[in-house]
Amino acid sequence: MNVLAWCVAAWLMGVGIYGVVTSRNYVHLIGCLSVCQSATYVLLLGIGFRWGAGPPIYYDHPPGTPAVDPVVQAFVLTDIVVSAAMTALLLAIALQVHKRRGTLDPQHLRPLRPTE
Amino acid sequence: MTSRWRLILLLPAFLVLAAAAAEVILGLPAFGDPLTRYGTAVNTLAPALRNVSNVVASVMYDIRGIDSLGEESMLVCAVTAAVMLLRGRRGEDSSEEAGRIPGRAQGERMDAMVLMCRLFATALFLFGAYVVLHGTITPGGGFQGGTIAASSFALLYLGGGYAVWRCLLHSPVLVALEGFGALAFVLCAAVPLAFGYTALQNVLPLGTWKDLYSGGLMVIVNAAIGVAVIGSFGALLLEFMEETRAPKGRVDEEDT
Repeated sequence: MNVLAWCVAAWLMGVGIYGVVTSRNYVHLIGCLSVCQSATYVLLLGIGFRWGAGPPIYYDHPPGTPAVDPVVQAFVLTDIVVSAAMTALLLAIALQVHKRRGTLDPQHLRPLRPTE
Repeated sequence: MTSRWRLILLLPAFLVLAAAAAEVILGLPAFGDPLTRYGTAVNTLAPALRNVSNVVASVMYDIRGIDSLGEESMLVCAVTAAVMLLRGRRGEDSSEEAGRIPGRAQGERMDAMVLMCRLFATALFLFGAYVVLHGTITPGGGFQGGTIAASSFALLYLGGGYAVWRCLLHSPVLVALEGFGALAFVLCAAVPLAFGYTALQNVLPLGTWKDLYSGGLMVIVNAAIGVAVIGSFGALLLEFMEETRAPKGRVDEEDT
């Protein structure tokens, strides 16, 4: 149980990398990158967790009651926002690639080849 | 390279990574162990020092505010790049015509659906604004609330269709919101600097505990981020939607 959270994070990262490597479509590849990124959410939130502690928001309970680590939660929030912005940027690139080359299969795309 | 070869190359990479991951996993502290000193210190001190009940918000907007400033600039840069890429050669011209596939029948929209979507979009936007404004008190904040509010635009599109949607949303307004929010955040960091304090120092009165105004400068930073996020995600949605439209007056869709 002690290492389960870390194993889940490693497994998510592995599955994401496998998806990126075997991907046949850029949109699918972008989805796989998001899976890789979710490994970091699990890792960070796991590091901040503490048994028997509440949320670090002292609205219902007074300050001083045990709470999980707020710093890593802020990191995860940053992580998610950056992930969303990057996904949008990558999807925009994928759209342009499809317009210019007519395909989104990484195997049929050669980098820096002039368009016919 | 075929996918078979990629898999064969992936195998040794995974073996190395698995060994490294096992080493790291066994070296990490046990799950659920007491916190780091930083987290404990923030949890103990932030409510008293900053007068906010949402400690995550105090980390985001005050204690590590410069990090959020970097994050916000990153969001603005990524959105700007995405918008530029999407516009491509299309430029800034936009069409209010929906692209259609020839021969596909287009049914009438039901009034009830249009009405429901508009009602729910309004409610969703208000809820997003509520989450933004209460960011320093309850769970939420500029990033989360801004995303909720921006998703109401998608609901408007669903109900009203493209032409109506474009009458309601204007790209310059969204882009201005995005820039204004980011600028307000930068000003929050720069103005204390100009008066001899450190950047983002909380110079405003801290307000009352659990009140809508609690946390001083954090309230402004939070609202600025909310506005910027609404603008960013709205602009992104608009540009992605514009991609599906038939260009006005141009038949060829070649973009090379």
